Amino acid sequence: MENNRNAKWAAYTRGTHRIGRICTVITLILLVGAPFLMGTYLGALPDLGAVAKAFLAVGLVWTVSSVVEFLIYTPMLGAGGGYLAFITGNLINMKIPCAVNARDIVGAKTGTPENEIISTLSIATSSLVTILVLALGVLLLTPLQPILQSEALQPAFENVVPALFGAMAYKYYRNHMNVAVAPLVLMSALFILVPSLISSTSMMIIPSGALAIGIAWLLYRKQKKGV
Amino acid sequence: MTILSQLNAPPIYLICGGIIAFVAVLCVIFLIRAWRAGLALGMDKTKMKRAITASATFSLLPSVGILLGVIALSGSLGIPWPWLRLSVIGALHYETQVAQTAAEQMGMSKLSAAEMTPGSFATIALLMSICIMWGMILSVFFNKKYTQKLTVKENKTGGGFGDVAMTAMFIGLVSAYMGSYIGGFVSGKGRFTFMGDWTPIVVAAVSALVMPGFVYLAEKKKKAWVESFSVAGSMIVGMAAAVVLGLLVK
Repeated sequence: MENNRNAKWAAYTRGTHRIGRICTVITLILLVGAPFLMGTYLGALPDLGAVAKAFLAVGLVWTVSSVVEFLIYTPMLGAGGGYLAFITGNLINMKIPCAVNARDIVGAKTGTPENEIISTLSIATSSLVTILVLALGVLLLTPLQPILQSEALQPAFENVVPALFGAMAYKYYRNHMNVAVAPLVLMSALFILVPSLISSTSMMIIPSGALAIGIAWLLYRKQKKGV
Repeated sequence: MTILSQLNAPPIYLICGGIIAFVAVLCVIFLIRAWRAGLALGMDKTKMKRAITASATFSLLPSVGILLGVIALSGSLGIPWPWLRLSVIGALHYETQVAQTAAEQMGMSKLSAAEMTPGSFATIALLMSICIMWGMILSVFFNKKYTQKLTVKENKTGGGFGDVAMTAMFIGLVSAYMGSYIGGFVSGKGRFTFMGDWTPIVVAAVSALVMPGFVYLAEKKKKAWVESFSVAGSMIVGMAAAVVLGLLVK
């Protein structure tokens, strides 16, 4: 029985990597090919020299950021969720909190098949919702534009991420206050003293996360010794 | 024919819409495979349904926010390309920045339809694709090894610290953003001037204050279904607070 279950799981995982890799490569080709295809239609192909220059100006920063994102987020997302999330994007402001929230609601543990399933279900659903909302939005762009761009509603849409992290902060801080205090205080102090770092918040996740993991490790060891 | 009407022409819609459709199909395939695998492993159907419902409600509001990004970029890049970028792979904060830099490299003073040519559009579009593709490339080469290594480690240690570490990492992520809101208010307009934008702090605080209500209903009143809507519900109230604040301050 257990062997059968393991065999099924191994087959599923193999399939996930195969489909994930093939589809990621196809998506890459489509995304890089699209500007050439559109350029052919428009009668002007991309200027590769300008692309190379601009890549050196801004692309290298994003390359480093992508490596960091891959290393940090893949363990949170699992295999299937990882492939999908890197294809569909909007990681920090949606996919990561979404998968973590789903995992939390279901009570799945990291590194388990259950976590892998829940994470994939979550990322796939989230991506489909975004695709649907954007497709509907584009379809109804003319009637929606005045509402969405109305001056009164702008503060709401400018603060989607604080609203998201506020709710998530309560959810995670309430049971782990001993882990959360130090990174919160340190990050606040750092951003107050060096405000220019605010534009690099996504990179500051690394020291903040490392500190939280360090504290969690100390508490974990202490708890284990106490048992 | 203006540049925007060229960029909004049916063939451009077809190219971008086709890629979006491909990714949508891919999501459906992953969704169905994961659902079936979950059932084969004996996972609780209700749990899986809750994960899907929670993720759908969770994603609704941020998606509307992303739609605003499409609208913002459509004035200079047309509708189909921003629609593709933000439906697939893109990130709201990234697209504008890269498009702007690419425009400057093309000799444009700013990203605008007035200065856009078919050639500059194709160049900007290519740069937007290239700059953010590394996560996908790394996934192709390292996702398998990396996730397998994590699973093995988990089994060896008996499933303990890996889970704690992931929660801690997420706490670190949230703390970095919370710190940035506090720092933005205190020193955003000069160190210790307390003149920066305080709306994000208020929005985060309101959202965090509403959350216990949902937790109370879910945990104490045993209304488990509420949990699926807790984050989305808290976000709506937090965002509504931003609107009220905007009206009051104005």
